Amino acid sequence: MGFEKILNLGGPLLLGAVTTVEITLVSLLLAIVIGLGLALLKLSRFKLLHWVIDIYVEVFRGTPVLAQLFIIYFGLAYMGFKVSAFPAAIIGLGLNGGAVLTEVFRAGLGAIHHGQREAALAVGMTPWSSLRYIILPQTWRITLPPLGNYAIALLKDTAVVSAIAAPEIMFYARNLVTSTFETTLIYVLAAALYFCLSFPLARLVERFEKRQSAWQ
Amino acid sequence: MIEFLSVYAENWASWWPQIAKATGNTILLTVFSFALAVVIGVLLALGKLSRIGLIRGFCTAYIEIARGVPALAILFLIYFGLVPLGIVLDAFVAGFIGLGMSAGGYIAEVFRAGIQAVHKGQREAALATGMTPAMSFRYIILPQAVRIILPPLLNMLIILLKDTSICSLISTPELMLRAKDLAMMSFLPMHLFLLAGLIYFLLAWPLSLVTRRVEAHMRRSLRGA
Repeated sequence: MGFEKILNLGGPLLLGAVTTVEITLVSLLLAIVIGLGLALLKLSRFKLLHWVIDIYVEVFRGTPVLAQLFIIYFGLAYMGFKVSAFPAAIIGLGLNGGAVLTEVFRAGLGAIHHGQREAALAVGMTPWSSLRYIILPQTWRITLPPLGNYAIALLKDTAVVSAIAAPEIMFYARNLVTSTFETTLIYVLAAALYFCLSFPLARLVERFEKRQSAWQ
Repeated sequence: MIEFLSVYAENWASWWPQIAKATGNTILLTVFSFALAVVIGVLLALGKLSRIGLIRGFCTAYIEIARGVPALAILFLIYFGLVPLGIVLDAFVAGFIGLGMSAGGYIAEVFRAGIQAVHKGQREAALATGMTPAMSFRYIILPQAVRIILPPLLNMLIILLKDTSICSLISTPELMLRAKDLAMMSFLPMHLFLLAGLIYFLLAWPLSLVTRRVEAHMRRSLRGA
């Protein structure tokens, strides 16, 4: 196992790592938008809306993300909507994460005492500014640790999108294996690369958690 | 819509026997990998509380790596990566070992958190009344820790059930692989992947309802305590 060999294999894998980070960030953003949006909508009084959101959450949390990706990538192509691998990966992971984060934000919003909102309205804030300046900043503190944990899970879930040929770490690893036959080394390097990405994130989440328990 | 559904009626006789068998394999894979993960988790959790630094270090490193690397990378490493070293595993065996090793790291943390959440005064009191350390663990610590451990453990079971689908990528003959093969043969990907998704849902949803009931029950009993 020469050092040079590792460098030669590491290049393409690092290229894949860039895509892995891109997919993680964009689908995280999508998941946050969906999750926060739906959690806020669940504060409304429309029963029908609650139903629709609950069904979305249950369905996407009750099925494997791989099945969701295959439906979006292969299933939709069959129905005549061709989505290429990268957007399919983002949509699949984003919708899946949206369901997870809806629950996270709902729990976060639920943890804020309703007196906070009443007090904000009583001092003359509009419902929107009470949400913006009173409710959301407090929700943010509560949801940060679970959000961070979700980001780590998402980072690792991106490995699955290699199955629909999105060019991330695992995809490059599989291609490298067929061209170089350095199977063991390549998969060890791929695993190490994921570890290097997720480990600092895990330490960061730990710090959020410590800080939060200090507040309470 | 009716046209879409009629495809199922036409193909049901040829699909169902294969899908049913594959679903059975998915359940077996889930049970095996969960059992392995619990064994690994208990050993790691105990190892992390060990007084020997080397054991503690190994267990900490294992947990960090298992939690920091995707299950898919571990599966590929076990199934493909060990072949050049002369270790050739059956896809099913590689699948449950890989998933079990990966989930073991999480379950270790669940156990450790559960055991540590029991106030140490409980153990001290048990020892003071003349119980042996083993008895105090069995009769005092464990019954209280189980309340904290059970809900996340059940959640892990659901996650494992869904994660077995990625074993299809190392050709373990489970539900997702069968659905993919049938989809390729019949050119009906939407039908087969929706069917696979539905079956996963029918397996996972009752589990998640049970988990929520257990969670609510445990929360009440903890508050009562």
